[in-house]
Amino acid sequence: MAVLKPEEMLSLAEDVVSSAVKKGADEAEAYTYQGLTTTVGIERGQVARSSRIIDCGLGVRAIVNKAVGFSYTNVLEDKVAVEETILRAISSARASKPDENWLGLPPKKPLGSVEDTYDSKIVELHAEDLVRVASVMLEAAEQTDKRVLPIDGGAGASYLSNAVANSNGISVFDHGTIIECSLATVANDGKNVTPVCFEFNAERRYDIDPEWVGKEAAKLAVSALKAKKVETKGSKVIFTQFALQQLLYYTFINAVKADYVQRNQSALKGKIGQRIASEAVTIYDDGMLKGGIHTGKFDAEGVPQQKTLIMEKGILRNYIYDNYTAKKEGLESTGNAARAGYLSTPAVEATNFHIMPGSRSPEKLVNEAEDGLIVYFVQGAHSSNLASGDFSVVAAPSWKIEKGEVTHATKGMMVAGNIYQVLANVSAVADNERKIGQLVAPWVLVENVKVIGK
Amino acid sequence: MKDILGKVVNFATQKREAEYVEARAQRLFKTMLTVKEGRVEAAKQGIENGAALRVLVKGAWGFASVGALGAETLTEAVSDACKMAKAASSRLKVPIKLVEAKAVQDKVVLKPRKDPSKVPVEDKINTTSSLSNTVLGYDNRVKSCTIDYLDVTGTTFFMNNEGTYIEQDNLYVWLGVSATALQADVLTSSRDAVGSTAGYEVFDVETPEIVGERVAKRAVDQLRAKPPKGGTFPAVLAPNVVGTFVHEAFGHLAEADFTLSGSILAGKLGKRIASNLVTFYDDGTIDGAFGSFKYDDEGVPSQRTLLVKDGVVTGLMHNRETAHKLAAKTTGNARAKDFRVEPLIRMRNTIMEPKDRSFEELVEGVKFGYYFKRFRGGEANLDGTFQVGTQEAYEIVQGEIGEPVRNASVSGNTLETLLKVDAVGKDFELWPGICGKGQSAFVCDGGPHIRVKEVLVGGSA
Repeated sequence: MAVLKPEEMLSLAEDVVSSAVKKGADEAEAYTYQGLTTTVGIERGQVARSSRIIDCGLGVRAIVNKAVGFSYTNVLEDKVAVEETILRAISSARASKPDENWLGLPPKKPLGSVEDTYDSKIVELHAEDLVRVASVMLEAAEQTDKRVLPIDGGAGASYLSNAVANSNGISVFDHGTIIECSLATVANDGKNVTPVCFEFNAERRYDIDPEWVGKEAAKLAVSALKAKKVETKGSKVIFTQFALQQLLYYTFINAVKADYVQRNQSALKGKIGQRIASEAVTIYDDGMLKGGIHTGKFDAEGVPQQKTLIMEKGILRNYIYDNYTAKKEGLESTGNAARAGYLSTPAVEATNFHIMPGSRSPEKLVNEAEDGLIVYFVQGAHSSNLASGDFSVVAAPSWKIEKGEVTHATKGMMVAGNIYQVLANVSAVADNERKIGQLVAPWVLVENVKVIGK
Repeated sequence: MKDILGKVVNFATQKREAEYVEARAQRLFKTMLTVKEGRVEAAKQGIENGAALRVLVKGAWGFASVGALGAETLTEAVSDACKMAKAASSRLKVPIKLVEAKAVQDKVVLKPRKDPSKVPVEDKINTTSSLSNTVLGYDNRVKSCTIDYLDVTGTTFFMNNEGTYIEQDNLYVWLGVSATALQADVLTSSRDAVGSTAGYEVFDVETPEIVGERVAKRAVDQLRAKPPKGGTFPAVLAPNVVGTFVHEAFGHLAEADFTLSGSILAGKLGKRIASNLVTFYDDGTIDGAFGSFKYDDEGVPSQRTLLVKDGVVTGLMHNRETAHKLAAKTTGNARAKDFRVEPLIRMRNTIMEPKDRSFEELVEGVKFGYYFKRFRGGEANLDGTFQVGTQEAYEIVQGEIGEPVRNASVSGNTLETLLKVDAVGKDFELWPGICGKGQSAFVCDGGPHIRVKEVLVGGSA
């Protein structure tokens, strides 16, 4: 199967940039992307499908008279198609009005080094290997409890590479790997069906534990049986990483993006240097994190990724920037430009959003919650108010904590509030950090969260 | 294209022991604009060509996707798909079978009044600019306006080894707009959307002025809104919220893959699950609606599928695999976002049927409750717990619409809530949206106003 070599991706990007400038662009940037993914899928208790997806493409930004045009194609072997893509980027720019805030593409800078982002073992995996991973996970779930049905999940291995070149001399290439396995389960005891329970493991190196994923997904579902309603009141709540990721993704993570701040869409505008969370909360956006899912040498504009202090013991220290938003304020990009493959222009995005762990064990945290709740997943976080941080979500599965011990699952429970109130009310942070999407975080204990039960 | 796909399909059945083969190909062209406060961030245009090969070998699915359309690459890819299927079949307990589908030979040609691929980019920039101006000019408390415009045109091709070959024109126009308003410390947001499969003429009806005022007014009105009380209350839901409720709280559970996974609708066919005022259907045949198409991505004709009739479950939404498993007929609900992914069971235009009550009649019986007018998002779980968040809602006090409330969300158990529907309005609206189930799909949701005896309202703070 035709696959592009690193030097081919770089030379294509460089050629496109010089061709665009020759054709009349004031500045130009080319982004080449390649993704090779093999997956096996579990459907209702069995491995039933497998797929191989090859996706390569080119995205071109051309700037004419301070207006930006963009065009992309996935037809790379055809020189004419590539030339047409360059011309379309230029004609799109010509059709747009100048943007006074456009101050040029990013300059060339030396790249740092990152660890544990590529593993040749993952590249060499075959579908048969992933079938084995998925089977181990399935069997572990089935052996844990007969009432558990693994409804969905699987295993996947990806090789991703990209190159960026621009007319300021940036010309960079990087590649990486990811392997993951996941299992969604429900438990059914003849009377009740649980909400969907989910566990997964994703790593940049070939170091995943499918047996653990299978067991945990099954254990979660079984303990979600026999749910009871709870009282409506203010309560201590432990949010696990899944729930935190959902709640933060649609609110706080957007609010620290310079784009949202500059456009009056962020509740954190003008709050640098101010206390907005409890002292227990320290957060970095760490694009260099060892083995991080979003770790890479450079961002989607070829700017080096970096480690940026967002919140220091509750005090807001920095926003995150791409090239455009940084130059608008006379600053330098924090290496936070991201793209959806070759199909889109860069936009500000967090890398590894790292909430620093504390020293308490998760058991100790449950103990400290006394008469409280532990929320694993939330439903409906995408309906949060991005601007204000208000949220109102279903918390399921969740468990009641009584006298410092987990007692039973809850039924039909909602939690509501404001994400900034939640951050201000964090009273303790556990030591059990893990990676979930952009978030790297431990469990957190929050005081006085509004719980709506019966 | 027909010759190439034919060669590939034959290769898989004759040389690679495939029991079933389908080849999908696409030649699509997209234009996208992102506009922030009237500034076009980047005018984007792109080509996406590619093919998806899906096979059944020894009862397991194999799938391969490539961004190319040449015979040689596609033959390699289908060979890959067969290899993948064989690997997956090694631990198979129950082989996958497909329900029979009639072979179809068809060419679907669209003739829009205004073909978006023929509308110059400058015109599209002008439409979004005047929308932006309307929003920002509505009130000086409106601080930001983001617009995402997308149109897709081109052709998709489908062939399988059962004699089906379809060429189908694609046409989608989408515009999403959001605004934020700020007064003192209160920050509000609102959003709205336009979506059509008819053509660019949709903006003659949903003009920048109409859409812009709708979204700006909502953001500004919310500035004086208060948080709702949390607890159980009677509620009147507007068509936009009813549509989302039908889609999220019921529709997903009636997607046969979810039903088979144990959603609360499992085993409910022919049984009463809702008040007799409730009739739902999923209709892929409404002219110009954002969720309409002629053939799905398994080559099955789209149709109007009755899901609930007078409170009784009458059907589910199927692909050929689930239809076989549940001994049902095809419904044409298999959709793939593009050549990169396998088709999944997806909704089209999901609708609650109107009845006979006026809006006043719905509200007048409510002593204290809430009127939910506009959804922000929603989600459901297989156990039937749903959540629908709203961006516009009001108190109902003594049968009258009262003060606006902010960020209220509705929750409950789908089946319990459907039994509590005690009045259904005579009006009807259909709203476009983009549904996410791993892949995005263009859909519409709709219905009349309805009243529900009680729902759980999650108030903020």
